[in-house]
Amino acid sequence: MPDAWVSVSLTSLALLAGLVLLAASVNMFGLSKRWDPSLKHCFVTGGSSGAGLALAKLLAQNGAHVSIVARDQAKLNKALEELEAARQNPQQVFRAYSFSVNTEAGSAAAIEAASEPFDGRCPDAFFLCAGASRPGFFVEQTEESLRTGMEQTYYAQAFTALAASKTMVQQGVKGKIVFCSSILGYFSMVGYSTYSPGKFAIRGLAETLQSEFMLYGIDVHVAFPGTIYSPGYEEENRVKPKVTLKIEETDEGATPEVVAKIILDGVRSGKFHITVDFIGNVFRSSTAGSTERNSYALDWVHGLIGYIALPIWRNSVDSTVLKHREEHEAYLRERGLRS
Amino acid sequence: MLFSKKWDPKGKHCLVTGGSSGAGRALAVELAKAGAHVSIVARNPERLQKALEEVEKARKTPEQVFRCYSFAVNTESGSVAAIEAASEPFGGRCPDAFFLCAGASRPGFFIEQSEASLKQGMEQTYYAQAFTALAATKAMVKQGIKGKVVFCSSILGYFSMVGYSTYSPGKFALRGLAETLQSEFMLYGIEVHLAMPGTMYTKGYEEENVGKPKITLKLEETDEGATPEHVAGVILKGVRNGKFHITVDFIGNVFRASSAGASERNSYALDWIHGLIGYIALPIWRKSVDTAVVGHRAEHQEYLRERGFLSV
Repeated sequence: MPDAWVSVSLTSLALLAGLVLLAASVNMFGLSKRWDPSLKHCFVTGGSSGAGLALAKLLAQNGAHVSIVARDQAKLNKALEELEAARQNPQQVFRAYSFSVNTEAGSAAAIEAASEPFDGRCPDAFFLCAGASRPGFFVEQTEESLRTGMEQTYYAQAFTALAASKTMVQQGVKGKIVFCSSILGYFSMVGYSTYSPGKFAIRGLAETLQSEFMLYGIDVHVAFPGTIYSPGYEEENRVKPKVTLKIEETDEGATPEVVAKIILDGVRSGKFHITVDFIGNVFRSSTAGSTERNSYALDWVHGLIGYIALPIWRNSVDSTVLKHREEHEAYLRERGLRS
Repeated sequence: MLFSKKWDPKGKHCLVTGGSSGAGRALAVELAKAGAHVSIVARNPERLQKALEEVEKARKTPEQVFRCYSFAVNTESGSVAAIEAASEPFGGRCPDAFFLCAGASRPGFFIEQSEASLKQGMEQTYYAQAFTALAATKAMVKQGIKGKVVFCSSILGYFSMVGYSTYSPGKFALRGLAETLQSEFMLYGIEVHLAMPGTMYTKGYEEENVGKPKITLKLEETDEGATPEHVAGVILKGVRNGKFHITVDFIGNVFRASSAGASERNSYALDWIHGLIGYIALPIWRKSVDTAVVGHRAEHQEYLRERGFLSV
């Protein structure tokens, strides 16, 4: 047994060394130039609250032109005031537009409106932060609620990506698209059947486009934040099943400002997948498959930790779910879901 | 971490959506050979009849019940009606296992898509299975049946590339749903499986290739596909052995091991090896894919110009 372990360890180390050399020679450390938001036109959906608003303000602080898009005019007006407060120079253009971006027509109209102050030139970067979460038990869902879940996750961003892509390609703008998925796009668990599918779908779209947009020189990024302490999170928790809340008890969330900073840093340094904390890095490294990695060396370490730690964590999640069986039986019976 | 008992289809009632063609039909035949009762569900009555005849040929015992039902399962009501109809010969008892093989692929360039085609893509991948899973779950939970739900995603639920913006999102979504339910169904003792096949030589594959971009076809040139019979055999074996993610070949295993994250693995030892191989081989393969795409730029610009896409 010990001999086998020595062999395995030595082999792993040799392979690791080979890997580092390979990575260095093939230059897989992301895009070589750092991206600067200064005087770039950044279009932010879901820009009136949560991480979207925080990103919009951060972009403003970094000298960008910012167009925020959301539905509620009052929230948009407030958000615009906060952008103004972050103004760095008089040239910056800040605007707020009320549109529903979960249709192609709505997204196209929003982009057209935002392009107007720029003589019709479309934005340089699209930060797609629109989305919402309504967790619940699968057995209590309906076709409608599952469709709404997909609307509030995938469609909330896919059609804006579509409209943005068409415009950028038409105008020859080598811009960026930044999707906001979730750590629940790397894994899932009880309660998230209305949310994870759409967050996984965003990841699937980002993976497609990261490849396909090499035809156009358009960059794709996808962020995978965990819990964000935002108004959206409070609404989410109102309907979340007790067992899900229990499993998430020990979660350390982050403020929208922290998440926004990490996302912007990731976009600046050309990271494809952007994770927000150590847990995120572990998940990212452990699920990357053929996805472009930011650092093959660091991911090896994170992946190794994940290989050992994730099954242990998963086991504890499973145990919590199993222990909840009895309480759930009563829950089902109360609602007439058991014969 | 595997289910301790092997699952035996003998005497179990298996409902197969997308059961009149491709891997679904092949699975229906495999299940019949294994002694199961089989209900196949699809839309086209002629294809269903033909498939039923093939299932009949695989009959092992006179007790086996083979039926076919014409329903559209991409709505909850359609799925509910299909399950109710299938439960009828069994005194209203719902099936023990649901093999959700319904789905289709229409690849194409993203900028040629529309809201309608992206939604259609989601219908043909995710919704084609999600609502049947929903109806099946409610029936099994109501009746206290500790059954199985088997999703058919795709290796394009592990990774994606140029041309699959109408397909990968839905296949990833199925994986996301399976991951949720594998956890959640521990509340009920219902088991979840997720098949991730690659290229299958079926009618569906021929239809898929009609609209597929040239660059995607080029990238898939060296792909070795599999027959639906082979895929069905591997899927059934995986379900018997309690595997959560079921991959169909070496490439699939490498992707699975490299993408597993917190997902329940079938073998931590084997996955280590597959994962190691993936860590080295997948970036090399990916680099060649990227190079081919970048090399296609000029031809693609011409393609766009022909279609009046570019401003200049």
